[in-house]
Amino acid sequence: MSAAKAARQGEETKIDKVNAELVTLTYGTIVAQLCKDYESDYVEVNKQLDKMGYNIGLRLIEDYLAKSGTMRRCANFKETAEMIAKVGFKIFLNISPTISNWTTDSKQFSLIFDENPLADFVELPDDGRAQEELWFSNIFCGVLRGALEMVQMQVEAHFTSDVLRGQESTEMRVTLIRYIDDEMPVDDE
Amino acid sequence: MSSFYILQISFPTVDTPQICTVVYALIIINKAGGLVYQRDFTEGLNKLSVNDYLVLAGTFHGVHAITTRLNPLHPPNEPPSGIEVMETEHFRLQCFQTLTGTKFLLFTEPFQPNTDKIVARIYELYADYVMKNPFYSLEMPIRSEGWERRLVREMRVLNSR
Amino acid sequence: MASSQPVKPPLAGQPAQAQRGSQTGLKYPSSGKTIYNRPLNRSRTQELSQASFAYLFGEMVSYAQKRVTGIQDLEKRLNVQGHPIGLKLLDLLLYREPTRSQTRPLNIIALLQFITTALWRHLFSRPADALEKSSNPETPDEYMISDNEPLVNQYISVPKEMNQLNCAAFVAGIVEGVCDGAGFPARVTAHSVGKGEEGELWPGKTVFLVKFQPEVVEREAYLGKS
Repeated sequence: MSAAKAARQGEETKIDKVNAELVTLTYGTIVAQLCKDYESDYVEVNKQLDKMGYNIGLRLIEDYLAKSGTMRRCANFKETAEMIAKVGFKIFLNISPTISNWTTDSKQFSLIFDENPLADFVELPDDGRAQEELWFSNIFCGVLRGALEMVQMQVEAHFTSDVLRGQESTEMRVTLIRYIDDEMPVDDE
Repeated sequence: MSSFYILQISFPTVDTPQICTVVYALIIINKAGGLVYQRDFTEGLNKLSVNDYLVLAGTFHGVHAITTRLNPLHPPNEPPSGIEVMETEHFRLQCFQTLTGTKFLLFTEPFQPNTDKIVARIYELYADYVMKNPFYSLEMPIRSEGWERRLVREMRVLNSR
Repeated sequence: MASSQPVKPPLAGQPAQAQRGSQTGLKYPSSGKTIYNRPLNRSRTQELSQASFAYLFGEMVSYAQKRVTGIQDLEKRLNVQGHPIGLKLLDLLLYREPTRSQTRPLNIIALLQFITTALWRHLFSRPADALEKSSNPETPDEYMISDNEPLVNQYISVPKEMNQLNCAAFVAGIVEGVCDGAGFPARVTAHSVGKGEEGELWPGKTVFLVKFQPEVVEREAYLGKS
């Protein structure tokens, strides 16, 4: 299907589409600018990306709820994980990371990214440090943190591995810290 | 929806209400009870002062919170939604509270159909043209020209049917 | 822009990874998942939600806004962020042209047509709405590309006190990058023109003013004579 035709069809469906490379290149230029502004202090770049993601998450959640027609809260954190991986990532990035490695208390899981449109075309700077320190896709962590906070869940998220670092997989760890609202249902374990 | 409250409030009627469908107005209340948006879609409506709108928003926010505790039964699995509809002989108020705590109050003719769908559509416009605007500060009054333009256009189309 | 490099096709017939591996200190996964193993055309027609672009672009604008003093400064910063994208897209889009038209544009008109069609189509799924040469004899170096509804501005409402700002300065930077990369150095700026009667129909209408460096116009005149 041609991009133009697909775009026309996109106009008719609920979710407007753009060329994936526009998104990839835009994210690339954002990270590159941060690396420049923070003089390759990658720890600081990670922090800034997380912060940007958080700001995005606070806003993106409304789009998620509006476009997915979600009218009720998830019954538990397992359902939340499913919605993040199968609906959230699907709507916004057209990927569905795999959920794995649940802890026995059902409060911590991993998202494994086989695909990551933000990192297409990307090679980290060959300066001997970036592959040790930079989490290129760290914006995702902030997005989850911000979006879930808006629906009364305090979570912590961080990457534990990234193929861009020469590792075998790209994995993010997500931990539920607490439900912010007292009225929330108790997590049935 | 697990709980659905209908408050029937009687107002004295002078003449028979005409059967037509009009979306009168929209109010958006942030999660702290602050008024962030108010807009009329037809002419000649009762106007409140800015201050009265602020008071109205805050008061409704409080009343809404109370109605979530009215259920005499044990709370169901999900938290009660509070007031969703208020029907009177002259107008109908549809209240939609998002899971993030923002309330959309839609005032319509009593016979306006599909008010839930209209509010859902307004929520989509809000997610697009308010939340995706980098110049909008969260929880603050909405002054986005793109949102205003599209909202008014869509409501005008509805009202001209 | 070391961190995102769209234009490095692997050398034909060479095991790209091994070749690169011996030259750099970078580590690669044993699965061979590197950009050199990835077909360059794979994402050519792939799509993502416009929302994901809108959020990233919005954050780019907010972040830039915190680090500048005025509107011009902000536009300059957005321009600078678009510039490397233009440089890369020039090569990438030419590479994707059919072999016989894979040459880079050799004159101003060919370049601007490449920009208003190939570049615009790739980024925004449609060509630009108009391309005009300045009718002012004083400015033969100026061209105007119009876009009635820039995609990057779709969800953006600029507050009244900043009405001089047009965030499509980012796109101006991309265009400038293409011009510079093609050997036609230029300065490109974005201007909101959606006012008055036309504004009713296209309130977000934007004109990208392309002003080529004097040597470009000079060269063109010289080549035109021969």
